Amino acid sequence: MSGATATGPRLGSRRRARRDEEGFDKPRFLRVYSWLVYLYLFVPIAVVVLFSFNSVKSLQSFRGFSLQWYRDFLSDETLRESLFVSLSIAAITMVIATVIGTALAIGLVRARTRWSPAANILMLVPLVTPEIVAGISALLLFSQLGIQLSFWTIVIAHITFSISYVTVVVRGRLASMGDEVEQAAMDLGATRLQAVRLVLVPGLWPAIVAAGLLTFALSFDDFVLSFFTTGEDVQPLPVRIWSAIRFGVSPTINAIGTLMMVVSLTAIVAAVLLPRLFGRRESGIKVLTGQEGG
Amino acid sequence: MSALDPRLSRRQLLRAGAGGALGLYGLGALGGCTVSRPIEKPESTAAVKPEIDGDILLYNWAQYMDPDIKKRFSEKYGVAVNEVNFDNLEAMVTKLRAGGHYDLIWPSTEYAFRLQQEGLLHRFHRDSLAHADGISSFYDGGWWDPNNEYTIPYAYYTTGIAWRNDVVSGMAGSWNDLTNPDGAGKMFILDDFQEAIGEANLLNGWDLNTADPNQLEVSKQTLLEQKEFARGISTNSVQNLVNGSAVIHQAWNGDIVNVRNQVDNPEDFSYETCKEGVPVGSDLMCIPITARSPGTALKFMDWIIEPDNAAQNVTWNGYPQPVEGGKQAFAGLVKDEPSIDVDIEELGDGGMEYRLDNAEDRALWNQVWTEVKAS
Amino acid sequence: MSEHGFWSRFLLPGGLWLFLLFVVPICLVLALSFGYTDDLGRAVYAFRLDNYADAFDPLYIPVLLRSIGYALATAAICLLLGYPIAYYIARYGGRHKHLLIAMLVIPFFVNYLVRTYAWVALLADEGLLNSLLGDVGISEIQFVNTPYAVIGGLVYGYLVFMILPIYASLERMDGSLIEAGKDLFGTPARVFLHVTLPQTKQGILAGCVLVFLPAVGDFVAAQLLGGPDTYMVGNLIQEQFFTASNWPFGSSLTVVMMLFLSIWMFGYLRSAAREARDPVAAEGA
Repeated sequence: MSGATATGPRLGSRRRARRDEEGFDKPRFLRVYSWLVYLYLFVPIAVVVLFSFNSVKSLQSFRGFSLQWYRDFLSDETLRESLFVSLSIAAITMVIATVIGTALAIGLVRARTRWSPAANILMLVPLVTPEIVAGISALLLFSQLGIQLSFWTIVIAHITFSISYVTVVVRGRLASMGDEVEQAAMDLGATRLQAVRLVLVPGLWPAIVAAGLLTFALSFDDFVLSFFTTGEDVQPLPVRIWSAIRFGVSPTINAIGTLMMVVSLTAIVAAVLLPRLFGRRESGIKVLTGQEGG
Repeated sequence: MSALDPRLSRRQLLRAGAGGALGLYGLGALGGCTVSRPIEKPESTAAVKPEIDGDILLYNWAQYMDPDIKKRFSEKYGVAVNEVNFDNLEAMVTKLRAGGHYDLIWPSTEYAFRLQQEGLLHRFHRDSLAHADGISSFYDGGWWDPNNEYTIPYAYYTTGIAWRNDVVSGMAGSWNDLTNPDGAGKMFILDDFQEAIGEANLLNGWDLNTADPNQLEVSKQTLLEQKEFARGISTNSVQNLVNGSAVIHQAWNGDIVNVRNQVDNPEDFSYETCKEGVPVGSDLMCIPITARSPGTALKFMDWIIEPDNAAQNVTWNGYPQPVEGGKQAFAGLVKDEPSIDVDIEELGDGGMEYRLDNAEDRALWNQVWTEVKAS
Repeated sequence: MSEHGFWSRFLLPGGLWLFLLFVVPICLVLALSFGYTDDLGRAVYAFRLDNYADAFDPLYIPVLLRSIGYALATAAICLLLGYPIAYYIARYGGRHKHLLIAMLVIPFFVNYLVRTYAWVALLADEGLLNSLLGDVGISEIQFVNTPYAVIGGLVYGYLVFMILPIYASLERMDGSLIEAGKDLFGTPARVFLHVTLPQTKQGILAGCVLVFLPAVGDFVAAQLLGGPDTYMVGNLIQEQFFTASNWPFGSSLTVVMMLFLSIWMFGYLRSAAREARDPVAAEGA
């Protein structure tokens, strides 16, 4: 299956799609429906962008165009630091959770010890636990150990919650890979570790990248875990936005939201376009989203 | 492949369960332990002097201070002014008790009193501040700080009712106005256990801070009736009023200033205080005992009550500051709607403060509020 | 070193991390749920059942049931919205497939709270939608501060967790099965019912659980979009920790919530574990 999808998914699926369009699965209805769902996802984002240019301090009534909220953001050091902290937490979480989660996925698929089933269940539980439970239990643990709440307590809580997402995504691809190539590499004289490094990891790479990006996005968006574990270090952006509820949320948050969306959109567009510029036919997005990892 | 046998995995589950039970037995050893450890307090109790001794970390409500004031302080004295935010005072105390190293905090009078009783605040001489003369006399020797050793006022506010005068009529300056029929389904109560229960206590003629379980039970019924009538329970009064979801809103007077700044029709928004009693809140500035740079913190307090800075800050956040400069700036902000401006010195006996002295009373009030929200 | 020994080492960091930083803390919550709050308002470990007596008070059970109801509605709506879009992307996305999936993640970069505030701006009584409706002569409709708004907010927050697993299971499905199904069952509806749906059962189950369970504990949607009667168990727990400062009671409410959820959780874990043991059979290839 991996071989088939890696070589010619485009031709195959397009041919199939055309056949289906001959009235069988009614893709036109599906297409409209899907675009409506995308519209639903992006309508509030359009509002965020609109209000980021509001001339008054209001999230409600738009009264005119101005750039003052972007200026405010640039001159407000606390907010800038918060954004930077949110990005740092997401980046560190992404790296550590991806490494640990990938190792866990490899262990779960390849190792057959009596601990595997227990580890498997242990790995799935965080996915289905409400975030508030993870937040509370992390808060209790840190208080109990006398650990000051800080930047690192947030990072630890985020990693704990992210490992499972990575493992699930990576395992999906690993399960479909088989271990023939590794065996061949070892027959040719590679050690097991070399086989992992030179064969297994490159094979898993798209899934690893996808898992990492998902983790980054989830961590950057997370409010609940940060809320429970934030301390005297600079607070991540969502915690600051939440705290603003009593004295009014300023449209500066919309300016930040708009900037972040522009940055992430640019990254995705670049991922689509750059490989084309360099003459590769497969789009970079495919690598970014890990193909069928999941 | 025996590891794949489902029966074995069930046995694994049992084994994990047994391990868990054992672990719980271990946790029994925790019995009697408190969750957070007592913080280590420094030996010395010498009064803090206003001199730069390092960077400071402010722990404040979000959006409560003009960032430009911090920035100019930072530039003038060459220290960093960092800020983290809380969304309610109990959370602030929780993190402070856990040993957080904050240099300057913004508690209410009641919380400042509690923190001082617990020995969690630094002492300083108010005279050592250059701008102490401008502080309103209301804050001279208050019950929360009889010797003016722990606190400087930051802002004060009254709690009353904000309403849309183009939609609602017949407002009578009473807490009964919350259930004015014109506001049915468009009324909000503040999501704050003291403001909500306090308003019901006043309406029933009880003492604002009553801890009598029978009286609180009656107030709970009052709140439940109001809740039937309400659109929501929220501290987001500015947004609720601006977006038209609220036509009657229990509110702090500073919020109405912000509302009027945000809408096209400011003249349609009114504010009243109520004859049964006007809860007055004051946010103070204090230096926690765990502060790393208490000297800079004190210097920063002085900076905030400097008349020009106070005026700038009031214009920014819409809340009156009871110091020279701040008072005048606020009067200027609300000259169209004098009901918003309440001089704290003139309020006299009409003003009341929230004050729950012991943990038991607090727990009771919290219990009542939780029940109101959950029913 | 044996083959088994080598691969088991990969389990170690993740297993240890999750045990120490996930399992142990949850045991602490369990332990504290039997504790009490002392006169200074500090949480103390002990063995008392008072908190559970309070948690099972008739007052709080409806809050829990309401949360479960909202979460079930959320999962159902997410399934209705998410399945077709996952199906569309998987089968007709063509070369845009991966771009379409990436687009689902973009909203995460505009923070959840910011997006929720945007919904309020859109749906408020004098918000953008109502003023549009007013222009065409429809009178003001109350959207926010209602149960529908809370469910809408939850759907918006969790939809992507429904789409991704269903998309993955559709991707794994062999397209030739549909071709065969056409010959066998004739109408598209029957092909979908007898071939596609059973083949993606695992994805649907995963999606529903990934949406339903976290949604039960959510407190942001009810706080920002709810009204007086939309109080959820997440709000109750959050307030015990940060406004009422009653950690032991908050812990016991957490444990009770987890007990309610464990039935669903257990069902999912078993089926997911079965799939992990035998991925090929689960894919139906």
